[in-house]
Amino acid sequence: MNFIKRFFTGMKQEVEPESSVAEVEKSPAPEVSQPDPEPETGDVSNFPPVRSVLQIASISEGIFPKDSDEVLIKAQPSPTGDQCLFTVNRPLMKGHSWYFSDFESAAESPLAEALFCLDDVETVLVCESTVTITRKDKTLVDWVPLAKEIGAAIREVLMADNGLIAEKIISGLPSEEEIREGIQNVIDTEVNPGVAGHGGNISLLAIKGNSVTIQMGGGCQGCSAADLTLKQGIHTSFRKAVPKVGAIFDETDHTAGLNPYFS
Amino acid sequence: MPRVNTFKVKVHTGQQGMSEPVHFNFNNHKLPFENGTGSAESGKVFEGSFDVNSFAHSLTLVGPESGKWEIEKFSIEYDCENEKPYTVQFGRVTLDETTEVNIWQDPPVLAFDV
Repeated sequence: MNFIKRFFTGMKQEVEPESSVAEVEKSPAPEVSQPDPEPETGDVSNFPPVRSVLQIASISEGIFPKDSDEVLIKAQPSPTGDQCLFTVNRPLMKGHSWYFSDFESAAESPLAEALFCLDDVETVLVCESTVTITRKDKTLVDWVPLAKEIGAAIREVLMADNGLIAEKIISGLPSEEEIREGIQNVIDTEVNPGVAGHGGNISLLAIKGNSVTIQMGGGCQGCSAADLTLKQGIHTSFRKAVPKVGAIFDETDHTAGLNPYFS
Repeated sequence: MPRVNTFKVKVHTGQQGMSEPVHFNFNNHKLPFENGTGSAESGKVFEGSFDVNSFAHSLTLVGPESGKWEIEKFSIEYDCENEKPYTVQFGRVTLDETTEVNIWQDPPVLAFDV
C-alpha cells in the first residue's frame, strides 16, 4: 500500500501552498476574522480535472501462422466456463453472424447441423471466422474433450466444401438499419426500464452487419451481476424482439471510472 | 483480476515528446515510475517499472500536464500472482492534459489447438 501513502503525501504538498496563497490574495484586510468562503471553493478546484481514459486495442501477433493451407482451429473457453470460442484461420460468415438456438434452426446449414449432432452442444453462434458454443451440461468446466469433437466437426465441414450456412439465411439477412431500429426500440421500451430499478442503463454503441455492440452504464457498470443481466436478460430480449440479430458484444469496461459499482 | 506484483513499461515516443516525468495512474492514484531510464522526449525511449503488490482495478499511462505527447508504440510486461508473466503491446496514441490511456489487460485466456 506504499503507493497510496505516497499519493496522499504528494496531494497534501500540492494543495497546501496554493490554498494559503489564495487566502492571502483574497483577504486584503488583515482584521477580517471570518475566512472568506471562496478559498474553500478554490481548494476543491485544486484537485486535478478528471481525465478521459482512452481505450486502444492491443497489437495482436496473430494466433495462426500466415499462409497455412491447413484448417487451423483454436479453442478458448470463457473464464466462467459456460461457453467456448473457436477461432478458425478462414472466414465462416463474412461480415455477418448468425445465432442457432437449437437443432431445428440449423436446418440446411451444414456447419450448425454438424455441431448440433454432438450430444452436449446447446447453442451455436457463427460470427466472421469464429464459432461460439454453449454446452448443455453446465456442471462440466473441462472443455477439452468436447472442444476436440467440435474442432473435428468444423474441420470436416470446411473440407467437404458444401457451404456452411443455409442459403435462406444468407439471402434474408437484415439491413443494419433494420437491426438498429429493432434493437434501439427494445432497449428503450424493455431493457432500460428494467435495469433502471438498479440505476443502470444500456446503450447501443454500434451495428456491424447484424451484430450489435452495447455498453452498460450506471449501476450496471462494474456490477457483479452484469454478466447474468447480459446473457439471461439482454440477450433474451434482443433475440425475442429481433430474431435476426447475430452476435451481441458488450464493450463495457467494468473497471473504468471513478465509481464502478463494486468500488 | 489478478494481483499485480510488478509491471514494466517501455515507451517509444514519436515526433512530439514531452519533458515531464512519466506518470501512471493505478486505481486512480497518480504516481511516477520507479527506476526510470531514458526519456519521453521526441524519438527517445522511456523505460520504467513499479512494484505494485496490489489488485489492478484500473491502470493508465497519464498524459502531460501541458502540451501533447505522441507515443509511437509501447509495451507493458506484467508479473502477476499465480500467472505466467505476459507482455501487452500497444500502437500509436497521443496524450495531452485531458487524457490518459488504459494499459491494463487481463492475463491471456488459455487457448488450445483442436
